[in-house]
Amino acid sequence: MLKHTISELKEALICLEAGQVTLPYPFQPHPPEGEFRGKPVLNSRKCMSCGACANACPARLISIQDNGSIRTLSFNLRRCTFCGLCRDACPQEAITLSSQFELSTVTPEDLSIHAEFGLVNCRECGKVIGTQRQVALVKDKLQTCEPGFDDTGYVDLCNSCKRRAFIHNPALLMEVKA
Amino acid sequence: MKPLEWCFKKSIWVYHVNAGSCNGCDIEILDALTPYYDVERFGIRLVHTPRHADALLVTGPVTRQVRERLVRLYESTPDPKLVIAVGACATGGGIWHNTYATLGGLENVLPVNIYIPGCPPRPEAILYGVAQALGLVPGVVAKQEFAESLSAEV
Repeated sequence: MLKHTISELKEALICLEAGQVTLPYPFQPHPPEGEFRGKPVLNSRKCMSCGACANACPARLISIQDNGSIRTLSFNLRRCTFCGLCRDACPQEAITLSSQFELSTVTPEDLSIHAEFGLVNCRECGKVIGTQRQVALVKDKLQTCEPGFDDTGYVDLCNSCKRRAFIHNPALLMEVKA
Repeated sequence: MKPLEWCFKKSIWVYHVNAGSCNGCDIEILDALTPYYDVERFGIRLVHTPRHADALLVTGPVTRQVRERLVRLYESTPDPKLVIAVGACATGGGIWHNTYATLGGLENVLPVNIYIPGCPPRPEAILYGVAQALGLVPGVVAKQEFAESLSAEV
């Protein structure tokens, strides 16, 4: 009997030593630590809609569709596994994984990202080349690189039209070689 | 007071269903029951039969095999009931959204009251989701939209 009481007292002492272990979570926020990967966020200023993220996503939740003169980039985050491969694949570092984890929702449409970008068509044949931002980026890189190219008139041509333009105008070809 | 609110004023008891999950979400649900997160202080506890349950906590992308059992579990849960989809698989099918063996998410089988995405969701996220289903906390997710032509005008 005495032995039993002593062991119970011992347990009580151990419990006192441990203190309170329960998190006061719903009443106080409990932010995740370190490199937690939460909801992906698209920085729409940096994104140029190249589709590298759509290629990398293992759950295939990122889709890119061209409709008329608009390219639509949409994320269906319902099946996102928060792996971060889209962030690693992005050349513009436009995707970041925030620390937001309280993603519960009644309407699953809330778990999506929808972005629309203007497309550029080929000057000659009207084929889609890329988004306005991609073309602007290429122009910018051509002008700032060493040696710089001042004539960027052929940037808004599609591949086959560009080839045709070079054949008909060898001076352009020389400039590219230099 | 609405009838549903009145019914759920008592503690909610949940029945945990694994519908083809990889056990990641199941472990997080068990985490939420440990003394560290301790959902039992809010009266939320796991029960052993759906007939005692107020809510079904479903994980997994719902395989073809489990569909019939899942419907039977749903039917044997007394009304009013909540169906909570836990994890990316139950919410939208996860990385198995288009395979032949799964039905691509819980919403294709049962009417879902609340979705808790995450792979797996943190125990806090599960707690938050259940609280949101009971109307205690607001939802914080919003759709992110962007259109280039609109931003060019601004």
